[in-house]
Amino acid sequence: MKMSLSWLASYLPGPAPDPAKTAERLTSVGFIVEGQEGEGPATVYDVEVTANRPDGMNHRGLAREAAVALGREFRDPGAGAVAESGRPAAELAAVFIEAGDLCTRYSARVIEGIRMGPACAAVRARLESIGSNPISAPVDATNHVLWDIGQPLHAFDLDKLATGKDGRPTIVVRLARPGEKLVTLDEVERTLTEDQLVIADAEKPVALAGVMGGLHSAISDSTTRILLESAHFHPGAVRRTAKANGMHTDASHRFERGTDPLTTLDGLDRAARMIVADCGGALRPGVIDVISVVARPFAAATLSLRIARLNRLLGMEVAPERCLSILKALGFAPERKSGVIGVIEVTVPSWRIDVESEIDLVEEIIRCVGYDQLPETMPRVFVPGESAASSILEDQVRDQLVALGLTEAQNYSFVSRDENAPFVPAGPGEPVEIENPLGEPFSTLRATPVVGLLRSAQHNVRRSRVDLGLFEVARSFGWKEGKVAERRSAAFLLAGKRQSHWSEAARQADFFDGTGVVAGLFAGLGAPAPRFKAVSFPFLAEGRSARIMAAGGVLAGWVGVLAAPLAEGWDLVDPVVGDVDLNAIPKPAAVTTVEIPSRFPGSAVDLTVTHRKEIPWRLLEETVRRTGPVELLAVDANNRYAGPGVAPGFVKTNLSVRFGSPERSLSREEVNGWRDAAARALLALPETRVDGIE
Amino acid sequence: MAEIREAIEVAVKALSGKLEIAEAKAKAAPLSRGELNELKVICIGQNQSHLSFMLQQLRIASKSEKPALGALINEAKKSAERRISALEGQMARYEAERAEGARAVDVTLPPRTPVVGRLHPLTVVRRRIEASFRSLGYEVADGPEVESDWYNFESLNFPPDHPARDAVDTFFVKGGGTGRDRLLLRTHTSPVQMRTMLSKKPPIRTLCPGRVFRKDDIDPRHLPVFNQVEGLAVDEGITFADLRGTLAAFARTFFGDRAKVRFGPTFFPFVEPGVDVAVSCVLCNQKGCRVCSGSGWIEIMGAGMVHPKVLANGGIDSERYTGFAFGMGVDRIALLLHGLPDLRLLLENDVRFLDRVWSS
Repeated sequence: MKMSLSWLASYLPGPAPDPAKTAERLTSVGFIVEGQEGEGPATVYDVEVTANRPDGMNHRGLAREAAVALGREFRDPGAGAVAESGRPAAELAAVFIEAGDLCTRYSARVIEGIRMGPACAAVRARLESIGSNPISAPVDATNHVLWDIGQPLHAFDLDKLATGKDGRPTIVVRLARPGEKLVTLDEVERTLTEDQLVIADAEKPVALAGVMGGLHSAISDSTTRILLESAHFHPGAVRRTAKANGMHTDASHRFERGTDPLTTLDGLDRAARMIVADCGGALRPGVIDVISVVARPFAAATLSLRIARLNRLLGMEVAPERCLSILKALGFAPERKSGVIGVIEVTVPSWRIDVESEIDLVEEIIRCVGYDQLPETMPRVFVPGESAASSILEDQVRDQLVALGLTEAQNYSFVSRDENAPFVPAGPGEPVEIENPLGEPFSTLRATPVVGLLRSAQHNVRRSRVDLGLFEVARSFGWKEGKVAERRSAAFLLAGKRQSHWSEAARQADFFDGTGVVAGLFAGLGAPAPRFKAVSFPFLAEGRSARIMAAGGVLAGWVGVLAAPLAEGWDLVDPVVGDVDLNAIPKPAAVTTVEIPSRFPGSAVDLTVTHRKEIPWRLLEETVRRTGPVELLAVDANNRYAGPGVAPGFVKTNLSVRFGSPERSLSREEVNGWRDAAARALLALPETRVDGIE
Repeated sequence: MAEIREAIEVAVKALSGKLEIAEAKAKAAPLSRGELNELKVICIGQNQSHLSFMLQQLRIASKSEKPALGALINEAKKSAERRISALEGQMARYEAERAEGARAVDVTLPPRTPVVGRLHPLTVVRRRIEASFRSLGYEVADGPEVESDWYNFESLNFPPDHPARDAVDTFFVKGGGTGRDRLLLRTHTSPVQMRTMLSKKPPIRTLCPGRVFRKDDIDPRHLPVFNQVEGLAVDEGITFADLRGTLAAFARTFFGDRAKVRFGPTFFPFVEPGVDVAVSCVLCNQKGCRVCSGSGWIEIMGAGMVHPKVLANGGIDSERYTGFAFGMGVDRIALLLHGLPDLRLLLENDVRFLDRVWSS
């Protein structure tokens, strides 16, 4: 917001304020000077005024703050006297407030017999200095008042307002009727709805209340009679109207944040004086000042400030005298409460709509004392509780995946509808769409972080980085039973070669690298090894895709090679992707007994089995396990072979069975006996042979 | 006659001792050919060796003792020869290996480095922030990313139709209801603070890290998805000065011992007083540089005393308890720490970028 130093100075009697010092002090009390143009008295600041301080969005208000910050006197010269003559204004126009809860006050004055022309050079220069283009004397007068004291005004051509039954041009503050139309000053025709507050004449809307006037009733070169509007609207009403029409004006900016209900008359007088000075004419006696019968009449709030509370909250002592002088300088009326020690009764000025309670007074005092005066202390020590298990787990998962050689990625949580669609069957529910997305590529909350990883992989492949191992620990979303479900998961993607070295042929990442990541993750988290169950998902390659089953048969996600058509779309060849549901990973108990490794070495035997391809490894393993004594420790696959020497449709699996006992050495005879039992069980499988066993 | 036997037994021991020393030496590095020859001469050489001394003694021994002493000497000789031969063998293998060079490699060839994974820089920075506050007794809390209007706005003193909401452009969920139940993507992690207050009694020290969403167009300084860490402390007697002390302590552990913090007034609906927190520029020691735009200060977070209305919404008696809250953007701090020009780098996941070492 642009603010002129010389304009501010008009409220600060005495020598011209120093531009640099003023900027620094304003910033220190909360009006951040973000930029500065010009030099000396011609300095114009760019000030950031926070939404809670509409009273600082004009020169008089900001000058009040500058006076406190600089320790100077603040003086408002006021509107000055304006001569009135002729018929009373009340005979020339009528004002009715219909929407009394949305407009607390509507004040109007009438000027007749003006000759349109430009404003005087001083006013034009002021407006130009803060980037506002001069238009005509009446319009410039209203703009000047807005930037001077913060009261938005509007000037109607009185002759353009339709008259009511009594023959007077009439203003009605009301809600729009559905379908009513208004062409605003920006020459846009707007169709209104019944929740929008308008200023109407006897027939039709003539302005969007607090936002912008209508084109038809605007003053023009031929205007001779003016009705000046100075009102106080409900902030929410102006905001709704402005938002509904996609508009934002200097007036709406202030009304939305709250204007001073006691400043309507002052605003009218200041503008009227300037118009008459520049355009001649006569200001008609009196103000048409309608106050809503519904709205609560304005009453100054009185708050109690307890010095002890102030000191306790700040953690430092501020003397009561200091509090009194700060509050006084800011325009509050503070008084020591009689009979009660340590309490100051504070009357809040009408323009400080942000000050509602004691804590707001505390802020007023500390910001003027200066935050650099605050001591640095620490809160008392106490025994903290435990961090959320979910956040601890997420970080453990990240560490484990890094240990497995994957690199962490982070992606947007939203993706395009089309990118997301293939993965919905494996997601937490129906797709969750954004009502107001940045665009179609960001329209849908992802069903799996894999979508983002595919995008990341594509980004890298296009930059010739084709060997990738990426993961992301994040949330996926889906509508489920009327609620948005959030699933925490660890997703990963492997593409290209897993490891390459000049000494050997490189291997492309395949399905088992995928299940390996999952198994490695479970192992690292101390969870029982997961199992993999063949599954058919349209987004994964048929026959190279699996569900992840945690202990107890709990579904814990999926893993597989991405279906070729999808992979092509991402410029990838056979990437392996997976999504592990973190909630489904079994959590190790806080206390677990650990089995001590046996002192006896144990022994292992190999079996070579030729069997149909359709017989899964899982069946071989379980067949052997079922025959095994308690001494059977593990069944592992050593080697698989299909090709010359093995009948088509068959595969040769070499498996090793490990035995051991915590109590004794095993004899050769008993191990051989167990091996034979395992071999016989395998032989019982259809069309299965075991080498060396008949 | 007993003197002769004694002399021979001493010589046998000396011989064995000599060999032991040589064997111990050979464990560290094989003996050289010269060393071995010398050893041989001293132990079993023709003249002036331990063996020759023993044989001399044997010659002057009585006839009856000769067979027993001879056997003793013979055994010592055989043992010595065996041990020397073992040392020679070791030396020969070593020499052969050196001479052969068949298993030598070009040590400068690229190593077979296991694939090394890395954490994302945002994770590294978040963890550093968390570690600073954990040491001050904060616990980490967690909450949903899709929130209701009440938790994200209304309970935090953002009334409906209030311009304060303009500062935080919000993504809404399609079909996500209306009013206070309307579903949206949280614009800050403050809803987690509200959930914490509603589920716990003071004293509270909570840290809320997480993803947040704002409808900002993507450019070098803005992303619609970014990461925050917010903190909340509620207890009897918590002061504004405590907030300053806490953040000063954080600044020192995070940015170094010389870091200072500065408060400047600002407005956030959920705190009063609300402050912008700047940390002294550690890159230029406040001399003024590009990163701090010459000011010597870098704004890193917002903070303030929890608004009594917010405490009340969290079911906490604001007369008995006071509290402070603070919040910072992890992405911006990562940018600052690593001198990155563009936030977008953080979400592109270019492995050339991610594979860099992010200090932790």
